[in-house]
Amino acid sequence: MKLLGANDRRDMEIHRYPVLVYALVPLVALVLQAWLPRVLGQYAYFDLPLVVTIYFALGRRSPIQGTLMGAAMGLFEDALTHHAIGVNGVAKTAVGFIAASTGIRIDVENHAIRVILNFALSLLASAIYYGVYRGMLGLDLKWSWFTQLFIAIGNAVIALVLFPFLDRLQIRD
Amino acid sequence: MDSFFARYRNLVVLAVVLVAQIMGLAIQVRRFAGGHNTLDVRDGSGVRLIRLWAEAVVSPFERGIHGTGLTASDLWSNYADLRNVRKQNQQLQQTIDRLRLEQAALLEDAKQGQRLQALLNFQQKYIYSTLAAQVIGSSGSELSHVFYIDKGEDYNLKPDMAVITGDGIVGKVRDVFPHTAQVLAINDQTSGAGVILATTRIRGILRGDPSGRLMVVGVLSDERIQQGEAVATAGGDLIFPRGLPVGVVDKVTRDPVHDGFIDIMVKPAAHLDRLDEVMVITSTQPRFNDQQQKDIDTSQAEKGADAQAIRDQLKASQIMAEHLPGLIDPNLPPDQQPLNDSSNPSIIKPPPQPLHPDRFTPGNAVTPATSAPDSTDSNAAATGSQGQRRPAIARPGTAAPGQTKPGQAKPNQAAPNKTTPAQKAQPQGNR
Repeated sequence: MKLLGANDRRDMEIHRYPVLVYALVPLVALVLQAWLPRVLGQYAYFDLPLVVTIYFALGRRSPIQGTLMGAAMGLFEDALTHHAIGVNGVAKTAVGFIAASTGIRIDVENHAIRVILNFALSLLASAIYYGVYRGMLGLDLKWSWFTQLFIAIGNAVIALVLFPFLDRLQIRD
Repeated sequence: MDSFFARYRNLVVLAVVLVAQIMGLAIQVRRFAGGHNTLDVRDGSGVRLIRLWAEAVVSPFERGIHGTGLTASDLWSNYADLRNVRKQNQQLQQTIDRLRLEQAALLEDAKQGQRLQALLNFQQKYIYSTLAAQVIGSSGSELSHVFYIDKGEDYNLKPDMAVITGDGIVGKVRDVFPHTAQVLAINDQTSGAGVILATTRIRGILRGDPSGRLMVVGVLSDERIQQGEAVATAGGDLIFPRGLPVGVVDKVTRDPVHDGFIDIMVKPAAHLDRLDEVMVITSTQPRFNDQQQKDIDTSQAEKGADAQAIRDQLKASQIMAEHLPGLIDPNLPPDQQPLNDSSNPSIIKPPPQPLHPDRFTPGNAVTPATSAPDSTDSNAAATGSQGQRRPAIARPGTAAPGQTKPGQAKPNQAAPNKTTPAQKAQPQGNR
């Protein structure tokens, strides 16, 4: 993993996208996340809103934007479930912040780094979700780490395909 | 101060967003006296509003995707259906003829069943009104097994209505929106339905595990439960009518938490992962047609007449009991009961036990049927002495009281084709 110094930060490119992309890509991710499990059944091992959150947080390299986008995506996901609204919000808020903070430090153009980051941040989001649900709220929840592992792998694979595609949508000077 | 916020702006925003969400979570969770927390079954107005917005944003796209997918698949299926349609039509006609015959037989059974249930004053909930709906989306989370259907308040759907398919139960309506409804699937962890095993009649609670598989919990270990046994709804949860198919027993495992209990893994009858069309049970109130209602009225009237006859008999027996002397007075203590009163001459007491029992003692009398045929002394036979075995000789006039003399056997005391040992000993000329 290539670490960047403080002087390199100014040289880093901050990805910019059309407003329509900011609006549509998260929306498409949310709709597909709600619709695809109907088609794929029990094999829907992915979390598209999380992948999109990580992508924009890494690309924009702004912790505040990553935080807000993670919160919005998480709350939206919670609203579609029958669980408490905010559990996913907290998890994705933290992940958005961490992803953006990480994007400042490391070279996120590398595909391998992107895959590893998606895998690790997906597991982190699951851990935060579990911690908030069981530890903070004290609610009963049976948990399967194997399922979360599969989801993390699925997210990493999707990121491998989706990130290059989304890179094409950014505004280039 | 400004420099502080400027320097830690990112962390401040993060903290504010997190705290706001945690406060929102705290509002939604309730702590019970038992110490465990739970979510409100019904969402608060603010939470429901957020869910409503989210659903309003997503559902139009889901409807669009669903409609487009249906149109494409319809075009293909229409083309495919045209092929071999004549042959299929003939097969279907034969099936219809066969089903008509079966339906006639089943109708008779159903009518009889309803009459019997009416006799027993048992009103089972039948499904009388259903509403077909399309599944348009899901929660998108593997931890929340809910899905959305394209019918809502506009079709008078209400929470806790059962959702089924032709194969079996699917879930129940959890929340109703203007044009959609959220359905909690039976394989969710928070779901619950009363079920019964068809063969062993063991009851349990159906719920989902973290992987979305169905399991019946709260069942004591029982070796009779076998793989493949059918599971149906028990009807006690006031949501699912009784007798709807749930699935079959797939595997039986020990409950890791509760000793002596087992978890029954169930293979669902309905394809919970691939739901397209479902039916919402909108009415389960008993409702019969005119003929059925007439039959039930007749049964009720007959039942009423029978009950009146039983009441009359009970009343007559009570009157008789009041006029007859009783051995047990419910108003007296046990030691003062008439049965224990020695001054009461009407009580027949058993005779006292003899000090030296002999062959004349009641119960020791030797009858020809019980005396040993080779014994010369009945006492020896009664005491089990090992005397020399000789042919028994009946001696008239020495028989014990109540003993039937040889050749005077009553017709109802001996079978005609059986001969007692004493009869065997009679000379031929005495016959």
